[in-house]
Amino acid sequence: MNNTKSGKERIADKIYYINRISILLSIVLMFFPAANPAKICGYINKNMSLLTSGLSYNRLVEDCGRAFRQGWIAESSFQLLFAASLIACLGILITIVCGCMSLGNVKMKKTGNLFGIVGAAVQLLGIVMIFAAYTQVAATTRPEKVEPALNVTGLLLFTVAAVVLLVSTIVIQVLLPKVGKDEKFEMQSKFKLFLMFLPFAALCFVFSYLPLYGWRYAFFDYKSGGTLSSDNFVGFKWFLQLFQNEATKTDIVRVLRNTLAMSGLGIITSWLPMAFAIFLSEIKSAKVKRFVQTFSTIPNFISWVLVYAIALAIFASDGFVSSILLNTGVVDKGVNFLMSTDHMWLKMWLWGTWKGLGWSAIIYISGIAGIDQQLYEAATVDGAGRFQKMWNITVPGLVPTFMVMLLMSVAGILSNGMDQYLVFETANNIEWLNVLDLYVYKLGIGNGMIPLSTVVGMSKSIISVILLFLANSISKLVRGESIV
Amino acid sequence: MAKTKQEKLDAKKEKEYYKTHKRQYKLTLGDIVFNVINYVFFIAFTITCIFPFYYLFINTISDNDLVRKGAINFIPQGIHLSNYTSMLQAGEISQAFLVSIGRTLLGTALMVLASAFVGYLVTKQEMWHRKLWYRFLVITMYFNAGIIPWYLNMSMLGLTNSFMAYIIPGIVAPYNIILVKTYIESIPADLEESAFMDGASYMTIFRKIIWPLSKPILATIAIFGAVGHWNSFTDSLILMQGAPEFYTLQHRLYNYLNQASNIQAIANSGQISETVASSLMNTKVIKYTVSMVTVIPILLVYPFMNRYFEKGIMLGAVKG
Repeated sequence: MNNTKSGKERIADKIYYINRISILLSIVLMFFPAANPAKICGYINKNMSLLTSGLSYNRLVEDCGRAFRQGWIAESSFQLLFAASLIACLGILITIVCGCMSLGNVKMKKTGNLFGIVGAAVQLLGIVMIFAAYTQVAATTRPEKVEPALNVTGLLLFTVAAVVLLVSTIVIQVLLPKVGKDEKFEMQSKFKLFLMFLPFAALCFVFSYLPLYGWRYAFFDYKSGGTLSSDNFVGFKWFLQLFQNEATKTDIVRVLRNTLAMSGLGIITSWLPMAFAIFLSEIKSAKVKRFVQTFSTIPNFISWVLVYAIALAIFASDGFVSSILLNTGVVDKGVNFLMSTDHMWLKMWLWGTWKGLGWSAIIYISGIAGIDQQLYEAATVDGAGRFQKMWNITVPGLVPTFMVMLLMSVAGILSNGMDQYLVFETANNIEWLNVLDLYVYKLGIGNGMIPLSTVVGMSKSIISVILLFLANSISKLVRGESIV
Repeated sequence: MAKTKQEKLDAKKEKEYYKTHKRQYKLTLGDIVFNVINYVFFIAFTITCIFPFYYLFINTISDNDLVRKGAINFIPQGIHLSNYTSMLQAGEISQAFLVSIGRTLLGTALMVLASAFVGYLVTKQEMWHRKLWYRFLVITMYFNAGIIPWYLNMSMLGLTNSFMAYIIPGIVAPYNIILVKTYIESIPADLEESAFMDGASYMTIFRKIIWPLSKPILATIAIFGAVGHWNSFTDSLILMQGAPEFYTLQHRLYNYLNQASNIQAIANSGQISETVASSLMNTKVIKYTVSMVTVIPILLVYPFMNRYFEKGIMLGAVKG
């Protein structure tokens, strides 16, 4: 590879930044409904991005049924719009090739630039077609129903990105030297690896980082199906409501009480799996040991829905316990034990323990297997009894693992998960079962209070991260090792 | 290595020593009490872990009239399989079953492929800003935006009421990537280097060397991934509100458990023949049978999972 670059090439490398940024801009905009240039009339869903309008015709026209039947809009204009969006997306896809190939050698760059020029042209074509579809729709007989409107911002952004890309690519193409006849396609391995990694990074970004953008809903007065604009920007109103609105405050206090109670029970009894493992290791019969180890982990692998199904099968009025009591004549009518709202926290803890105890013990069982047997032999020789050996050898051997687990559960004190409480919840026991995760779900998805539930969820996420860092620092301080 | 005479003699002596030694330690009363309590506790606990499944099972294969009366508690009577066959005739259940199977197979396959490949890529020191990108992945394990922003994001991406909502978000799984990466790092680097010297590309090395050698860890993440897919329920609940055809089996089961009317509906919908509905099926049996259909796949793969447990719980030991 030729390492000495001419001045022109160096300039080209600079221009490539503009080139790549404009590609990136188009890609990002493709996902944002607000920047969707294909939103040309009131019948198009506000929450649809350019990508969606280019991928799914059904979603594009889902609200247009009446307009088509009445003849307000010709279906062909929507087909044109769909084709236009698809072409624009395709154009962007082609420019991605250009962006990727720009990391290679001169030959690769030059070929890639061709893709860039074609892609930008296709993208522009798509935008022009969208405009054409708009003029068709705007000619409607009933503009007050159809509400034709051009998304000027979106259209401009995409056009600017495409034009900048087109111009910069042509300039680069001119600046780059001619390709030698025997030159091959080449790319440094660091970029090769990076490009192979890129699609996965993109997926990760879209599904793990992009949701953070949704935190903005916390600052708006948003109703499902509406839009975010400066009109309904409310600043910290929803945050203040947590403390000022009496009803919300009561809810939050109750929810926090339940969350902390449930997590607290878990933390207080977090030594149970360790005890389980230690006592299990005292069982000398290998068969019994294997039996216990194999089957006590089964409940961990079933969902909470199934745990609830089992709870019903055992404790409902037509379940196992009731049948036994009926058959022995203790009661004369089946009792639904699940209806009782006494000791809900304890019951939830019991279900959680039933489900998770055997599984959580595994890490300690393998920990015990790793303890030096000579320690036990030496202790036996010194006359140590069974419990002395447990307490003085096994427990100290397991404490490091235990500390990690404990710190993790302290860090996760606000996250009980919602599955368990969702399935066991009834109108009567919700007062005791409503934990933070369930509350956020019910508030946001059930009642459509999106801003408020975002506020609660956001606070929870932030506090959880802080707790995790604290736990990590404690671990570093005490054990000299981090846990994350 | 052949043992010398002396060593054999020593071994024999040692054995004898242990024999007499053992005899010296007679079990005390305390030991016996301890052992009895210990054994009883563990066996009882384990039975509570498996009995519910047995109870569900015998109630689905026993005579439905006896089941309704609550007469089937320990021993099945009047064995028949018609509950299962009529359950599979009910369109809702078989469709949900197909959805669950589909997402489990496709989702797991893609997740394993991606984890293996990305796990391999992030072991390559020469990758452009490798550390940064690796952190970019790993950091997502420790925060999440919350359920509402997640939902809004999915709907913005057009992933509501769509089967792909089950598959695509799960492809990049940072925790599994870490597991694979750690495993690949333990494979001797010589193999890869010599292949590289021979001019093999990254892809070839991945296919011919890394993939076959990391099969144990891939099997582990595959099994845990599959169980996760099979059991996941909230994504169906939240994302498929307008598309009952994409409900997972867990979601269906949840609905049946909660709404008696729903169960009557399925019995009365004609999907199950009326005679079956009136005389054989009752809500209890339907609930139990759907539960069994949901749990059977887990119980079937369970024996194969056992040996992967320890690898799967490396959580505490793994570092980002």
